[in-house]
Amino acid sequence: MSESAVDKFVAKRRPTWEELSKLLGGKKLKSRPPREISRVFELYREVCTDLVRASRLGAAPATLAYLDALVSRAHSQLYSGGGKRLFRWGRFLREAFPRALRENARLFWIANVLFWLPFSVALWRSIESSTFSARVLPIEMLEAMTQAYKGNLSDGRTAGSNAAMAGFYVFNNVGIAFRCFATGILFGLGSAFFLVYNGLVTGAVVGHVVRMGGGPNILTFVCGHAPLELFAIVISGAAGLQMGRSLAITDGRTRLGSLWAVREKILVQILGAAVMLLLAAAIEGFWSPSPAPAEVKWAVGGLMMLLVGMYLAFAGRPSSANRERGASG
Amino acid sequence: MQTALDTTLELETPEHIAFRYQLAGPARRAAAYVVDLIVRGAILLLTALVILATSSVATADFAGFETGAMLLVFFALEWGYFVTFDVLSDGASPGKKAFQLRVIHQDGRPITLADSILRNLLRAADLLPMFYAVGVLSMMFDKKFRRLGDFVAQTVVIYEPVSKLGNRQEAGEGSEILGLPARPSLSVEERNALALFYRRLPYISQARALELADLVAPVFMERFGLKKTDPLNLLITLYRRSSPR
Repeated sequence: MSESAVDKFVAKRRPTWEELSKLLGGKKLKSRPPREISRVFELYREVCTDLVRASRLGAAPATLAYLDALVSRAHSQLYSGGGKRLFRWGRFLREAFPRALRENARLFWIANVLFWLPFSVALWRSIESSTFSARVLPIEMLEAMTQAYKGNLSDGRTAGSNAAMAGFYVFNNVGIAFRCFATGILFGLGSAFFLVYNGLVTGAVVGHVVRMGGGPNILTFVCGHAPLELFAIVISGAAGLQMGRSLAITDGRTRLGSLWAVREKILVQILGAAVMLLLAAAIEGFWSPSPAPAEVKWAVGGLMMLLVGMYLAFAGRPSSANRERGASG
Repeated sequence: MQTALDTTLELETPEHIAFRYQLAGPARRAAAYVVDLIVRGAILLLTALVILATSSVATADFAGFETGAMLLVFFALEWGYFVTFDVLSDGASPGKKAFQLRVIHQDGRPITLADSILRNLLRAADLLPMFYAVGVLSMMFDKKFRRLGDFVAQTVVIYEPVSKLGNRQEAGEGSEILGLPARPSLSVEERNALALFYRRLPYISQARALELADLVAPVFMERFGLKKTDPLNLLITLYRRSSPR
């Protein structure tokens, strides 16, 4: 094989490469006229072959790098495979989210224990003793909370401060839930930690306010949104725990394979939790501080709780007709 | 698929062609992150200025709306900035673009929205306990430089320098190599060394091959009176021409 073969080859093929390079620059492939798109396909196949031939002929590393880059650019445009759209939101809310959560039921209950047990202990202890809450949280913060719930929240706030608080709730609560989920990658330890921690803090705050005499105020205020919000955090934690468990218990897969097997499920759960939290933030910002009488608020809160519980327990279950078909088939 | 000794990722296309991506290491990615941090800071500042400029009276009520809006923007920047750019601009946030980086799915496809959401949610774990220590640690122990978010989302970050096909290099060097004798006379030792090198080529990275070739090539360049020749190219040509057929 003579050396000039490389040069001849490069010289001969170069126009093809440059044509492909030009077609790939500029506008996205999708928005091109059909003729150009099919031309890119043609050229891509040719350049693929050229890459192999060039390396066989012993072309210079720079030439090979150029062809590598050209092929990879074309490859990522041609094989982009419509992933921009996540899923149909209707189907996601109707079926996918509650189903994924029910499949993860065991860890969901464990996450509940991890959250509500510390919550109850902290609530009880900080109502009982005057020093407990100060051991969990900085005293200034407790003071601020006590001040906030001293008066009746339902008449003091204006539309503007409602907006401010809604913004704060989105920022703070969704952030907490996301952290609670993400740290589950550390074999579930992070999720467990944040569940316990958030349970403890929430319980201590509520207990402290109740002990200082703001009980009716705070409970009437939170009854509309708290169930939604706290269960969303528990669900995030459960998804995080599932991620951690997939790493620890692999069922014969590789560790990564086991993680990737639950990928879609945990994504659906965390997004479902995010939707719940956005809803809760809107309620917390605009409904909870409204001047509606306490009885109405409690009724609405109870109704919300019932609806969310029913939704998570029953949405997306196959109808009995489908079940029979599934069982016989 | 052969495993590379260094930072390249080889992918096979459906055409059964293998091509290589260069993986991006922690340093370059950290630099890109700093740029993104600055961009986000600038966006936040700009939003604040716009909100301040448009609100006429600074009553407590208006301040509430403004604070709410700012917190929402802050939230969107913290959790949505990277996802937005991953989807709109093919896995390259402004910082990544500045450093010629791109996030791709590990099988070479562009990143999907689902990949991107997982990848960026997991930042909350990667940035623990501070300065992305967990993420950097994870990158150090992985051949593909993946942080935890990359593991979950099945993504890798690649370095895509703008590559140009040089004119001079091909023509000049090719003609120089043309001057080599058709059957260069080499000692048995030299031929064996070249053969060994040639056989190892598929198992070592391009950079390492060049490094090795650089050590030996000057000997032959001097002998055959060559000036500017790619060392790797020279050794391969010499091997091919001297090996008996």
